[in-house]
Parts: sequence; structure tokens; C-alpha cells
Amino acid sequence: MIAVPIAVLWFGGFVLAVLDGTRKPAAWLSVAVLTSAILSTMALGITVYQDGPMSLAVGGWSLGVGITLRVDMLSIVFALLSQGVLLAALIYEVVNGVGARIYPAVVLFMGLGLTGLVFTGDAFNFYVFFEISMISAYVLVSYGESPRQFRAAFVFITVNLLGSVFFLIGISAIYHTTGFLDMYRIRDQMPLVQENPAILSATIIFVAFSIKLGLFPFHFWLPAVYTGTRPSVAAILSGALANIGTYGLIRFGADIFPRELRQAAPVLIALGTASIIYGAIQALSRHATNEVLAYSAIGQVGYILIALGIGGPAGYAAAVLYTVLNSTNKALLFLSGSLRGWLAGAAFAIGAFSVAGVPPASGFLGKMALFQVGIAEDRPMLVALIFLGGALSFVYMFQLYRRRTAEIEAHGSSPWGAQVVVVMLALVILGIGVWPDPLLNLVERAALSLPEAQVP
Amino acid sequence: MILATSLAIAAMFAAGAYLMLKRDLIRLIAGMILIGNAANLFIMASGLRRGAAPILPLDEPTADPLVQAMVLTAIVISFATAALALALVYRVYISHYSVDLSRLSAAEEQQAERDEPMTEDLRESVRDDTDGEASPDGRHAREAAIR
Repeated sequence: MIAVPIAVLWFGGFVLAVLDGTRKPAAWLSVAVLTSAILSTMALGITVYQDGPMSLAVGGWSLGVGITLRVDMLSIVFALLSQGVLLAALIYEVVNGVGARIYPAVVLFMGLGLTGLVFTGDAFNFYVFFEISMISAYVLVSYGESPRQFRAAFVFITVNLLGSVFFLIGISAIYHTTGFLDMYRIRDQMPLVQENPAILSATIIFVAFSIKLGLFPFHFWLPAVYTGTRPSVAAILSGALANIGTYGLIRFGADIFPRELRQAAPVLIALGTASIIYGAIQALSRHATNEVLAYSAIGQVGYILIALGIGGPAGYAAAVLYTVLNSTNKALLFLSGSLRGWLAGAAFAIGAFSVAGVPPASGFLGKMALFQVGIAEDRPMLVALIFLGGALSFVYMFQLYRRRTAEIEAHGSSPWGAQVVVVMLALVILGIGVWPDPLLNLVERAALSLPEAQVP
Repeated sequence: MILATSLAIAAMFAAGAYLMLKRDLIRLIAGMILIGNAANLFIMASGLRRGAAPILPLDEPTADPLVQAMVLTAIVISFATAALALALVYRVYISHYSVDLSRLSAAEEQQAERDEPMTEDLRESVRDDTDGEASPDGRHAREAAIR
């Protein structure tokens, strides 16, 4: 049951790697494969929601010997988020006309990596799935094959390869100090490890995931890559691949290194603050749509880091909620930003309002959750910062929107199919904003699956 | 032994980091490979223990088989990444006759200048212009236009 979404994507990826993805039937087949993976993840999610976390040792080994797959609500939320964003980007590209025969297969492989990575309960297996999605991303960034894309691909590969190496080093450091690779056992063993090695491995892993996420001091690669790639690839990178960073920070930080996370809380909050302010100021000073969005992405992950730094059930729930909203917003903005026509313009406006935190678009939920956490924890500075960040993001999104409307009047209209795709995505974001209860409930359950959050 | 391994890791990592700062793409990839292998050596070092081969029945202390399994996986992954990156370099060489990152950014700027003021009729005239050129950049623009 656990392995079904992974198996579907794996098999589908292999079949599509042989087929010619530029042909319509093959491209729509990839959409069907991804949809069935989402449906099976949903079915799995319903079981997990009712009966609690599930485990499976692969290869017929007994639990504790073989590599384990383990699914809880946190995994389900992140799997559905990544797959949903990938589906939107894939349909967008299929409707627009796929430019390279390998594109659908690579998207499926990336879905496989992202799903496997949240489903696994083994630290080294996490690395393997992580690399599957990273290698797919390396291929995707060069999609388009103009000098811009090639240069973006080299920047992306160099920096992210370093990130992967750091993560690998972190994992072998954990293995060296605890003697285990299974995440549950590492968690049980971690309090017995001396403080210095534990802090060192936690820091290495934090750096690795911050590079993926494009957090403030590690952000330097992000604008070059996001502006250099095609819109659907930028949407995938910021909406699906960046989830690796958030999920990794939550899973490794709150689950495996809770003690170190609490010690590092002031640093996390400081870095988050720097990220928010730096991202917002840079976004204000830029003109190209993708560049503004890239810097806005740097700013938005700062909020996630602050929520993590505050911690506790409410803090983790806010971090997960913010990730879900930010990923969908960024996917929508990158996809609709390159289109022309009034439908796409409306979709872009909804995304822009969502980032700025204007109801009824869903973005205000994340800001509200952070506000509540800040007030409950009695941190006036934090509330002021969220307000300032929100005001700045309102200003730059409004500027961007005004520039875009001027552009739209000057040019014609994009194909209807692509516009309909972004409008659907915009409707999802509006829907979440109007009726947020199911998502809030899911996110709360996801945060409760972390043992750290269960302690009052 | 631990000291020797850590010195070897440090040297490989330093050499790799130095190469990664170069603008030449081949050197950049050599740097990637070196850093990847430094990480592999680090995994080996994390389970460095003398002992017999871990084959059943176990009656004496055995070496750690898990790190070797991990390192094998990591080697395959870094190998695949390096192959992918080299393939990318080859594509760059085919379209620009150069593997220098600064040349690539120069070509990008030229293309940006060409793309910037494009409306439909302008695009037509640019296509006509580039048809006569024999330079690599002209060739690339023609390819892009055909595509």
C-alpha cells in the first residue's frame, strides 16, 4: 500500500523515458500517471489519517533490518503538495506543447524522488531519493537549451551538488555518532550523543537544506536560476523542489535534532529575519517579473524558518501551512507570469494578492497563523517583523502587478489552454482561502505527527 | 589511520573547491568529481573498523559492511551526476565552440539584446540578418529561429 505511489511513478517514468514525450498521447499518458499517483497517495492519506502512521520494510526483511518506508501525515501533506505542483506544471507544459521528448519522463522521475523522500524512514534512503529528484532537476533546468538555460544549469548543478555533498557528509556523521540509519532509532539514540558532534552534524544538515531552500546567506544561486529557466521549470523548482528543503528542515530538525533545534532557535529567527528583509528589499528594486518572484521566494522562506525557530505544535503547524501556501503561490505566479491575456492576468492577480496576504486569496492564512504564534509566544518584535514583511511584499507585488497590466495591454493573448490551467490553480488558491478548514486540519495533524509537538 | 584519512579528505575537498571556482567548465566538473569522492571517503571513514569479512557465521569482530554498501551507492550517484554534467558541457561546446563560462554569459547577453525589442515583424528582420553570418552565435540564433 505504501509503495503504490512510488511504484506507479517509477514504472510510468521508465515507460515514458522510452516514448517520445513531444507527441500528445505520450504527454497525456504522463499526466495520467501523475494523476493516478496523486489518487493513490490520497487513498494512503485517508488510511493514515484514520489509523495513524504506517511502516513497511522493503524487500521482505524484518522491521529493523531492511530499509523502512514510513508514512505519517507530514509525509502525506508534503507528497500531495509536491505532486500537485508537478501536475499543474506538467499539464501547463503539455497544453503549451512539450519542447523536449524527455520532459514528461523527467517530471515523473522528479515526482518519484519527491514522493520517495517523504515516504522513507531511512536517512541514507532519503539521500538516494533526494538525488533522484536533484538529477531530474539538473536535466529540467537545461530544458530549452539556450545560453541562458545552460548557464543557469551550471550554476544550479554546481551549488546544489555541493549541498548534496554536505547532506551526505551530515548523514555519515550521524551514522558515525549514533550507529543507525533508521530515523526512529537515530531519534532514540540522539540524546545520548555528546553535544558537540550532535551540533556539528545538525549544522551540516541545516546548511545542506538551506542551500536547497535558498535561505538568505545561501541564496546566491537562486535568482540566476529562476530567471534563466523556462516558466514551468521555475514553477517546479520553487513549488516542488524547494519542498525538499522545508521537509528536510522539519523532519531532521524537529524529529531528529529537537535539542539542537531549540538551542539554535535564536540563530534561525535571525536568519529568517535577514531573509525576509533582504528578499523584500531586493524584490522592490527589481523589474523583471521572474527576478522579483525569485527574491520574493527568498523572503518567503524566511517566515518558514521563523516558524520553525519558535517551534511547538503551533510553530510547526505554521511552518507546514506556510510551505503549502508559498509553494502553490509561487507555482501559480511563475506559470501565469509568462502568459498574456485577461484570464492569465486575473490568475496572476490572485497569486499576487495571495503573496501580499490579502484575503480571500489563501496567503493571508499563513500570515495569520504566524501572527497568532507570535502573539501566543508574546514576541512583539516578531509581530512587527511579520507586519513589515507583509507590507513590503504588498508593495512589490502591487508594483509587479501594475507593470504587468501595462504589458498585457501592449500585447496579444496566450493560448487558451495554458490560461485555463493557471486559472484552475488560482481557483484552488482562492478555494483554500475561502474554506480553509480542511487544510488547517490536515496541517495540524501533520504537525502532531512530530513527537516534539506532542509534548505540551 | 583516522588522521591519514581525514588529511586525504581535506586535500581532496580543497583541490575540488579550488577547481570549482574556475570558469572553465571541464575543470569545474573535475572539481565536482573530486568533492564527491571526498564525501565518499568521508563515509568510509565514518565506519572505519578493522575486522574479518562480514560473512555468516560471525565468530570474530567484523568490518562494517554498511558503509561499503553506502559508499557504493554514493559512487554510482556521483558518477551519474558527473556524466550528466559532462553531457551538458558537450551540448554547450556544440552550440558555442567553447567550454568557458564567460563566453557563455557573453552569448547570453547578445541573445538578450536580440530578444529584447522583438515584435513579430522585427523577429522576421533579425532572422534575415543572421542568415548571412557564419559565426557560432549566428548559427545558434538561426537554430533557435528554426526551432
